[in-house]
Amino acid sequence: MSKLLLPIFAVAGTLAAQQVVAPTPDTVGSPRGDGWGGYNVTQSFETGYRFHLVGGDMGEYRSDANYGNGLRLLGSSFAMNSKDGHGRWFDQITLNTSGLGNDPYQSAILHVEKNGLYRYDMSWRLSDYFNPGLTVAGGEHLADTSRRLQDHDLTLLPQSHVRFHLGYSRNTEDGPALSTAQEFNLSGSAYPIFTNVRRQWNEYRVGAEAHFAGFQFTVERRWDFFKDDTPATADGVIAAGTLTDQTVLQQFNRSQPVHGSSPGWLGNLHTRRKRWGLNARLTYVMGRNDFALSESALGVDQFGSPANRQIVVGGDASRPDLAGDLSLSYFPTDRLTIVNNTSISNNRIDGASTYSELLTGSNLGTTIYFRYLGIRTITNSTDVNYRAADWIGFYGGYHYADRRVDTVEGFTLPAFANSTENNVYEVGNQLQSGLAGVRVRPWKPFTINFDYEVGRTNHPLTTVSDKNFQTLGGRAQYRVRKVQLSASYRESYDFQPAFSLFSSHSRGYSANASWAPRDWFSIDASYNKQHLDSSSFLAFFAGLSRSTLQAKYRSIYISNVHAANLGVRFAIRRRADLYLGYSITKDTGDGRATAVPAGTTDPIQALLDSVQTFPLTYQSPLARLSIRISPKVRWNAGYQYYGYGEAFGVLGYYQNFHAHTGYTSVLWSF
Amino acid sequence: MVRAAIAAALLLPFPLVVAVAQGQPPPAAPPSGYVGSNACKTCHADVWLNFYKNPHFKSVASGKEPPERTGCEGCHGPGQAHIAAGGGKATIPRAFSLLSPKQALEACLTCHERNFDKANIQRSEHTQHDVACTSCHSIHHAATPQRLLAKKQNELCYSCHSGIRGQFEMPSKHRVNEGFMQCSDCHNPHGSFAATWGMGQRSHLVEQALDNESPCLKCHVDKRGPFVYEHPSVAVEGCPMCHNPHGSMNAKLLKRPVVFTLCLECHNAGGSGTRNLGVDLQSARHNLLDPKFQKCTTCHVRIHGSNADQYFLR
Repeated sequence: MSKLLLPIFAVAGTLAAQQVVAPTPDTVGSPRGDGWGGYNVTQSFETGYRFHLVGGDMGEYRSDANYGNGLRLLGSSFAMNSKDGHGRWFDQITLNTSGLGNDPYQSAILHVEKNGLYRYDMSWRLSDYFNPGLTVAGGEHLADTSRRLQDHDLTLLPQSHVRFHLGYSRNTEDGPALSTAQEFNLSGSAYPIFTNVRRQWNEYRVGAEAHFAGFQFTVERRWDFFKDDTPATADGVIAAGTLTDQTVLQQFNRSQPVHGSSPGWLGNLHTRRKRWGLNARLTYVMGRNDFALSESALGVDQFGSPANRQIVVGGDASRPDLAGDLSLSYFPTDRLTIVNNTSISNNRIDGASTYSELLTGSNLGTTIYFRYLGIRTITNSTDVNYRAADWIGFYGGYHYADRRVDTVEGFTLPAFANSTENNVYEVGNQLQSGLAGVRVRPWKPFTINFDYEVGRTNHPLTTVSDKNFQTLGGRAQYRVRKVQLSASYRESYDFQPAFSLFSSHSRGYSANASWAPRDWFSIDASYNKQHLDSSSFLAFFAGLSRSTLQAKYRSIYISNVHAANLGVRFAIRRRADLYLGYSITKDTGDGRATAVPAGTTDPIQALLDSVQTFPLTYQSPLARLSIRISPKVRWNAGYQYYGYGEAFGVLGYYQNFHAHTGYTSVLWSF
Repeated sequence: MVRAAIAAALLLPFPLVVAVAQGQPPPAAPPSGYVGSNACKTCHADVWLNFYKNPHFKSVASGKEPPERTGCEGCHGPGQAHIAAGGGKATIPRAFSLLSPKQALEACLTCHERNFDKANIQRSEHTQHDVACTSCHSIHHAATPQRLLAKKQNELCYSCHSGIRGQFEMPSKHRVNEGFMQCSDCHNPHGSFAATWGMGQRSHLVEQALDNESPCLKCHVDKRGPFVYEHPSVAVEGCPMCHNPHGSMNAKLLKRPVVFTLCLECHNAGGSGTRNLGVDLQSARHNLLDPKFQKCTTCHVRIHGSNADQYFLR
């Protein structure tokens, strides 16, 4: 085994995605540790200072990279292992952290285990999210929030025939943000409003697994609770300031708490025998949200008249969701596997809200709205995997899906009898697809895969859903001790002949090479190209003097993304490690020189032309030096550059930036 | 006192259950050919040296497992013939480098089939493509103490899924390279139940949230709803209708650089949709040449679903 695996790992050791410059992946010395009681203890800490210097659009930098200045515990690890597997309270503790101290992405992973008695896993993560108020939303939807995720899982009697699970997860998001509100007139402008994001989600889980007579039975009960108590206010007087829109928002307040829960059940039964296997699952989740909204606005309307508006909404929405799966596997011979899977999903969303509005002294009354959206899906698939010989195998499958979507929309005006109206829409569609593939291993280090899938849907839900689609793909891979080469291709085409004549073509090519001729030198390079073109007829209203229905224009989008990576690692006399890396992602668009081709005089066509393609270059070279000071100490330093350049900008606005980031740190291991 | 009695009543059965659950049938006589791990470490001291840190060491420490599930021979099979021959790979009953992917899978499933997260491994795309356990896991030279992965998780996945690697290097992406997320936050590499929020039903190893939902909702819980006014395309087809989940050259993982083209491609009066012959056409009041109508989500702020407004205005 080791002769095969070692070369794979030796090569795999050179494969590295374009990293962020820190923490340093290198370690000090070989496996180490100190004895303590009956345990072996290993620890490492990397502490250092990060810096950044940004030119250009700081908002886009924070959206894409977001590393700042300051001292950090860039990474740490702690492991404690019982040498005989009979520790008093635990046999293993591992704790790994990264980014603690103020990095935008931080994590801590803890694992504690006592053989046969319990296993506890904890993860805590933090992400600082920044949305710079992109032009796609008028530049007004800024967000500077932090999301914290934590998961705790405790398994009791993990090696027994009966196991118990307890779990808790928490997800919070908070921080300042801007949103927008439109008041007084439906065609008026929207104004930025301040929101203080406060969202929280908690989940509790309890479950058990039992192994009996070759069957594994799992049951889990979970309760989760969500609340969003984000308030919104306008900060000062905001005016549109245009001749056609005199709206002024002088005061604004909105409170819209949402509290909900989604308790659920999961049951699973699976077994695997010599000639057959079974896997059955049933889940039921009852989602429910209760909400209220109170909004008041005071100002001047679009036409210059004083205006005020009050809106009060209350109600609830529920969503029972039932899903079942039954998977049957057959192994008639050692070379043949047949798996048939049937899934049923029934999802019904029911909602009711009471909407009351006062607009500049006029009571617009109260309307009670009802909404229902039902989604029922039944699928059946059969997959066959035949290993004809050790060097060749075939696989294929037939997949069928039947889906029904029902929508009921209604409202009631309590002040008027017999005012109820209901509109019922329903659409049913079926999908059938077939898949065939072959994998060949002409000699041990070389493998080839090739597959083709074709599918047809009769009534897709939307104009861009899969209709007549096909995918074709292949991969070739060569792996020996010091070299790994691979190449792949995949295309995916979809076409909807009706109405909008939507078509989409994506083609992806990739090539990778890794070479590790010496233990002090390795190189890794990759190249990918992703092509996408789509076309669809549109219908919308537009016009210079008067807005009229336009139905002759097409939405076209063309993207050609080239992504390349290069990483080189040198080790100098086992004393120093130097890593040089470069990654570039470049969308060349469709090759045009300007966003709107010269000679375009139609303003509508010019607008559509300007968003048909979005050439952009994002690149990031990095260099990192790690020097071993002593058997337990390393000194590290690194530099990473980020460059973001839009060729055309989004709707005329450029968000380009360049950033110099780096760090220096000391890694102490013992 | 009452509380203590209730607590005792609740806790008392636990030791009983523990006793029953841990109760194993008395070990049968050792099958022939098993020599025990002590014999193996004579020659393979380098492997044995740190094996106490390996999760598989539990089988040795427990002392209750039968020989065919204990230590080296638990995975590699009885070692008597190997010792008698003085070594050699061919004499190891289960030398993983000589096993076919299916044989390697079967060997690992001997113990790991009981894990719920591997219940779908027979129909997983990895199994279909002969990606066996040893393609990703390194039992004796793992780079990660947990899961025994041969490489840091994202780099391991990128070694085959290089197209995905390119997407995570785009300016707008989920923070996988930065270490905040892992591929397994959304995918189960051992196979998953078919996704039920979409039509195609191909699983793509997607790990579902709340047992039956798009994995996006594990973190983006504010988009889960239920809402009184659902955006049907979101509820029915899922997030990938508008977003590229791994990464995008466009802001917010969007499939298009601007929102209005994304919206208009569906809201164009074509297709079947929930309106029978088409989803809502854009309002006649919206002159697309007016810049404020080119930024749909400036007004339609609750585009993922709303409780207060059928047009997602609040």
